[in-house]
Formats: sequence, C-alpha cells, structure tokens
Amino acid sequence: MFLSVEEIVKHYDGVMALNRISLQVRKGTVKGLMGPNGAGKSTLFHLISGMERPDSGKIFFKKRDITGLQTYEISRLGVGRTFQTLQIFGNMTVVENVLTGMHSRIRGGFLSSGLYLPQIKKSEEIAIKEAKEILELLGLFGRWKWFASQLSYGEQRRLEIARGLAAKPDLLLLDEPAAGLTYPEAKQLAQTLSRLKEAGLTLFLIEHHMGMVMEIADEVAVLNNGELLAEGPPDMVKKDPGVIEAYAPRR
Amino acid sequence: MVDQVHKEFRRRDLLYSGALWLLSLIIPDPQLHYRREYRFRKRDLFYLLTILLLPLIWSDPHFHHIMVLGGIHGILALGLTLFLGYAGQISLGQAAFFGIGAYTTAVLTTRYGLPSFLAFWASALTAFLFAYLIGRPILKLKGYFLALATLGFGEIFLVMVRESPRLTGGVIGIFDIPFFSFAGFIFDTYLKQYYLIWGVLMGLVLFSKNLIRSKMGRAFLAVAASEDGASAVGIDVSRIKLGVFVIGAAFAGLAGSLFASVMSTANPETFSLNLSVLIVMMVILGGMGNLYGPIAGAIFLTYLIDELSRYQEYSLPIYGVILILLLIFFPDGIGTRLRIRLIYLISYWGRKRRREKVEL
Repeated sequence: MFLSVEEIVKHYDGVMALNRISLQVRKGTVKGLMGPNGAGKSTLFHLISGMERPDSGKIFFKKRDITGLQTYEISRLGVGRTFQTLQIFGNMTVVENVLTGMHSRIRGGFLSSGLYLPQIKKSEEIAIKEAKEILELLGLFGRWKWFASQLSYGEQRRLEIARGLAAKPDLLLLDEPAAGLTYPEAKQLAQTLSRLKEAGLTLFLIEHHMGMVMEIADEVAVLNNGELLAEGPPDMVKKDPGVIEAYAPRR
Repeated sequence: MVDQVHKEFRRRDLLYSGALWLLSLIIPDPQLHYRREYRFRKRDLFYLLTILLLPLIWSDPHFHHIMVLGGIHGILALGLTLFLGYAGQISLGQAAFFGIGAYTTAVLTTRYGLPSFLAFWASALTAFLFAYLIGRPILKLKGYFLALATLGFGEIFLVMVRESPRLTGGVIGIFDIPFFSFAGFIFDTYLKQYYLIWGVLMGLVLFSKNLIRSKMGRAFLAVAASEDGASAVGIDVSRIKLGVFVIGAAFAGLAGSLFASVMSTANPETFSLNLSVLIVMMVILGGMGNLYGPIAGAIFLTYLIDELSRYQEYSLPIYGVILILLLIFFPDGIGTRLRIRLIYLISYWGRKRRREKVEL
C-alpha cells in the first residue's frame, strides 16, 4: 500500500473528529474524500501531513510509519499538500513561491548560501528553469513576476498546487482545490489534475464539486461525523443510501 | 505650433525622467520591497562610492565619529532586519548580543592580551553560541511572547554583567581596551575607524544579500508569511528561525567587538533595553524587507540623537515627537515611502506643466 491510514482516532475536547478511520490510497490513482462540513476531512489531512498528532492509530507512507514525524520531514518523504485556507507566500513573487516549494531539492545551507558558492548559483539557475515549466503547466507563466498577493483567488489556488508540485511529491494532498473557483476555472483545474494523474502522480483530494470528483477520481471515500460512511468506486458510492442520507437528509 | 509644443514636451520629459533616474539610483525601489536583491546594480555602486568618498570630502572628525557609530548601529540593524524584516520575528534582546561581543573583546584583549583581530572573531563566536543556546527554547514562542522572552534575556544579561565584577568590572565596566589592529596597522583615528567599520559592514551586506537571494532568503520570507505553508513544502521552520537568530546575534557580536575597540570602554549602561529598542526603531524607520533601509535608519537615528543632545533636557521629547511623526507619515520606512511620494510629485509637476501648455 502506498498510503495507508490505520485505525486513526482524533478528538478535540470531547468532539470526536475522527473515529477509527482506516483507508488506503493506491499508487498512481486519484482518491476523492467527501463529506459534509465538519465531517473530519481536513483533520485527516492535517494528521497525514503531520500538522497534528493522532490520539491513536498509525499512518504508513511507502511502508514507512510516518505517525509522529514533523511536517517538513513528511514533506521531504514525498507528501505534498495544499490548504483549504490559502497559505501562499504573499510577500514573494509567483516564481519565488514555486522556488520555495523546491526548498529541500535545492542545495545549500546558511554559510554556502551566504557566500554564494558556484554550486549554489548553478542549482538556482536549474531550479528557476524548472519552476517556469511548472508555472506553464498550471497556466501561470504570464504572471511569474507578479507578487503572489496580487493574483486573483483562482490563480492563488493554482499557485498553491504549483508550489506543492515543485517539491516533486509522490503523493499530493489537495484540500478543496476547486473551492471558490468559477465553473470554467474548476473545469480547467480538473483537466490539469487528470494530466498530473497521467504523469503518474498519486492524488488524494477533498472536494465538494460532485461532478469534478466523479470525473477524475478512481475511488471515493465519504466521511460523516468522524465515521467512514462508504468507500469504493464513484458510481457505487453515489448510490449508497447512507451517503444520500448524509448529503440530502429526508425530513 | 503643434510641433513646437511637441519639442517642448520632449525636453521636459527628458528632465523629469532624468530626475527619476537619479532618484532610482539613490532611494530604494518600493517594488524591491521584500524582493530578492540581486548582486550588483547601479545603486550598489553609487552607495559604495558614496561611502568610500564621503569622509574624504567631508573631513570633519566629528562627522567621522558619528559615521563610525552609525556604522556600528548599521551592523546591528542589518542583523536584526534579517530576523525582523525578512523572517518576521521580533527580538528585543539584540543589545545583549552586542554586549556579549563587546565584553568578549574587552576581556580577551585586556586580561589575556589577545590580539584584537582574534578577539573580533571570538566575539562573533561567543554571541553565536549564546544565541544558539538561548534560541533553541525561546524561538518556539511567537509574537509578543517572543518579544518578552528576548527582552527578559537582555535584562538577565545586564544583571549578570553588573553582578560579576571580577570578570566584567561590574557597573564601572572595562577601560583601556586597545584599538583594533591588524598586522601592525592600528586603527587609532576616526577616519581609519570609519573605513574599518564600513568595510566590515559592506562585507556583511554582501553576505546578507547572498543569503536573501538564495533558497535561505526565500525560506525566511516563507516563515514570515505562513509557517504552515513553509513546513508543508519541506522547510524546517525551527531551524530557519534559529539560523536567522544566530546570524543576527553573530552580527551583533561583531558590532560589539568593534564598538569596544573603537570606544575603548565597555560598561553595562550601553547595552540596556534602550539600545535594543533603538535598533528595532532603526529597522522600522529604515524600512523592513530591505537591506539598505535599516542602515540608512541607523545613520539617521545616530545623527538625530547626536544633534538633539545639544538641547539637553529637551532632547528626549523632541526625539519622541520626531519618531511619532515619522511613523505616522512613513509607516513602512523612510526609503520606501519617500520614493513613492517623490515619484508622485515629479510626475504631478510633469502633468501640470503639460496641461498648462495644452490649454494655451
């Protein structure tokens, strides 16, 4: 198993956010995570990316136990992520945001950077070239000199994905990538994501856009009140009575 | 007639754009605010030449002395701007590292007769080590709590200096610290000290500049913008914070060493909270997220304090009023705002002239 979450429990002062959740993501697939607000989706992402610790249970990535690791260590192992509330670096230009995403791949420490040794110069140049390619992929190339804070909301969302891709992750966690996007923007995003999938990237995404999930996801899991309601191919999950009840409760 | 007006416009435009060009040479670019700074531009050459030639043109020993102090403050401000302006953390304990540097040099040169050149490096190393030990626990704090913790460290340092007279000379301090000397050359006049200090400052500016335009600089800005975002892309936030803190402290240690060998004395009054606040003030007034701004702020405040000391008991209120006015009208640094305002003014004049001509 590529990513495997086993019996995860997390609660905040008596609120059960996640109750013994187990799920897997297979390599090279796209998995969707759905559920009403407050279902515990983002909490699960926080636990996987190491921003919070689970109360019990384990998380394995590439057969390695990543449960108590720091966020940056997990990121360096190949788990990239984006955020529901944007966390772009508004004090930098667009291309610098992407370059920051490459942080652990560019060489150099404090001293060698301060002296600007030849090897640093070289790896910077390579990195800038690569960053521009990534920006091209996400359609932000025309904006590369802009400050990230000057971009529109949709562009900022795409920039965050670009920054996540810059680290060359094996698994990318996308927390509501289409939230707040217009319909054409969301459509374009879905196209980009399926292109990434073709390139062999594993995606795990939280999404409310039913259509988008159905279009690109190979498998869908549905959470409600910290419980796993259903898991399986999108068509099956769509017909699951429990899911219908959670999304459209009968009065 | 149309042709005539056209010609007139061209000459005027040339004048205005000439003025703008001159301005771009001198005053920091607001667009460069927070942007990576590249190795050498025309502006850097201009600054370099100014610094090299200024004391020769204006050969007043008092001015040299002020510039020596300003340079020392500039080193302090430069160290802090990496921490405050780029990494977005606050430190009110910078004076303590300055003091550690000064006392290291003082003790090593007067008690152990070490050459001041070696003491210079030892000071940076001591400040570095202290910052490392203190930074590890302290830097977990954020915002006001970090400010208070660093402030507390500054006070503890002062108390320790006062209460260990055997090592530091207590409240009286240490006198007769030898002048900085290297390979038999003694920096004993203000002019020589000027070149010593500004030489060191230039080296440090170059170091900081390289740091800022490399991946480390981006990591600083990332930590300032969003710690979650930074750690999600593989930046070890606590290491970056510790690194900047330690570099800033090492800069302060170097400044302290230079201060001790220039002033020949070290006593605890110099390294009080006042100085720490002054350094923060320099960074804020000069403009954050810019390497030259804080140095300009340092020169400006040093000069201001010196000028105001003439007015004796009125000096502090006047100083306070000036600071408040500056913070109201130039909230993001004199350099950044000044340029925006001047550009606006010049283009306004240009437009006004043009309008008048067309109406005629």
